[in-house]
Amino acid sequence: MLRFGIRNRPRRLSKAMGRKEDGHGTGPPGRLERMTIIVNSLVRHERIEGSHQYMDEARGYTERLLQIAAQGDKNHEAMDVANYWLKDKDLIHKLFKVLVPRYENYTTCATRMWTLPVEYPGGKNKTSILELKGNPWPPVVPNPRNNSKSLINVLLHNAKKDYRSASKDGTPV
Amino acid sequence: MVVSSRSLSKLFTSTSRRRFCSKAEGLSNAEITKKRNELFGREKARQLALITRVEKIEVEHVGPPENCRLLMNKGLSTPFNCAMHIQENLMSRSVLALVNGQPWDLHRPLEDHCELKFLHFKDEDPALSNKAFWRTGSFLIGYTLERVFKDQHYVQLCSFPRPRVETGSFVYDAHLGISDWTPSQAELQCMSRVPAKLQFEDFKLERLTVDASLASKMFEDNKFKSSQIPFIAAKSKTGHSVTLYRMDDHVDISEGPLIASTALINRFNITAIHDIESEDYGSLKRVQGLSTPKQLPIHFWNYGILCERAAKLNPAPMPAQWNKEAMATRNNA
Repeated sequence: MLRFGIRNRPRRLSKAMGRKEDGHGTGPPGRLERMTIIVNSLVRHERIEGSHQYMDEARGYTERLLQIAAQGDKNHEAMDVANYWLKDKDLIHKLFKVLVPRYENYTTCATRMWTLPVEYPGGKNKTSILELKGNPWPPVVPNPRNNSKSLINVLLHNAKKDYRSASKDGTPV
Repeated sequence: MVVSSRSLSKLFTSTSRRRFCSKAEGLSNAEITKKRNELFGREKARQLALITRVEKIEVEHVGPPENCRLLMNKGLSTPFNCAMHIQENLMSRSVLALVNGQPWDLHRPLEDHCELKFLHFKDEDPALSNKAFWRTGSFLIGYTLERVFKDQHYVQLCSFPRPRVETGSFVYDAHLGISDWTPSQAELQCMSRVPAKLQFEDFKLERLTVDASLASKMFEDNKFKSSQIPFIAAKSKTGHSVTLYRMDDHVDISEGPLIASTALINRFNITAIHDIESEDYGSLKRVQGLSTPKQLPIHFWNYGILCERAAKLNPAPMPAQWNKEAMATRNNA
């Protein structure tokens, strides 16, 4: 089971299935071809940027790839899938020896997405960042502020504590 | 809730027609306030006149927008004046200053060369600002009590405990001169309007250290404070000084520090008045309140929850005489 919400239907990504110079459309194989390129570069760079649609679609394939790869490199099916999705063959080694051990004990999904701000004037397509968790890059959002000591948070935290202890005792609140 | 205006007017003064008539046995609340204010103003002018020669001090400001060095006047310039030289933002949002690492009121003159830092409510660790805000809450309850009641109810403020934000309410223990009174919600709401209106004013909280003899003269009409002043003075650094604060025309004893101005306050509610029994002072009223700063907006639903909690009796220690060991953690903190 994937550990994040996915769409009911796959996106068609009509641009990826669009016409070639010879006049013929590439169709669903062209779409998959595009996906392999994105998954390949994600496994290599661990953080990539692109249009939200493509990143979101590739995210599901990456998660599924990591899930299947968790069966180990001795498993034929896992090796076949890895062989299909990773066009650069040095990445197969990285997948089984680096990424699979990294996500072994994760209880959450292995990828993370960030929506980037819209540049003026902006179009209908959002730009996003897709990254593998535990990557060596500096965090996307630096130094998250800790607001727990602000006056209102202290008050609300203590009100919550009071409420919980009162409801544990069974006294009406 | 429908409350006839007549029942409220029995208890509270109308601000438009306050009475200044004196009673046979002593001064009224308003007259005492006026007297203290005059004494405070005179003493402040006297202390200012003592500085005959302007000396310069160097103040190193650390922090945003940039570190800088200012040349200020010794004994005259305050951290607020420094902020005026640096950025308007620092003037409007600063709650306290740190002078050589010590909390310092924004309107207290600087005494020597120092390093200066400004604090506000959205700092990484705003504990000092929070405490000053909570202490100011108690101070403002005192302000409210001394002016809302009619002259036949002679209010004597007793003391307030050290500020503890975790308890959910700030407190002032006082003798209200009313027996058998349980305030209704409408009455509390009515009282709350007085401090809540202060957010539209920009009243500075002025600090002044005076001699114990002057402090006892100021508070001679208050039996609790006049008995506490010798102990407060003995505990002070010089052994005979008392620190006073003034906001508008209200003067009270407090160790400080308090916040810079009433413009920093947003919501203010007096949430409950409980009867308490003190060993030394007899039966008193514990007036509790809740307030939030303008810099931290809060949704009314959340504020309602906090108000409900603030109405429960605050667990702060009961007021007692200063010479007792139990009072080490209490009183005009």
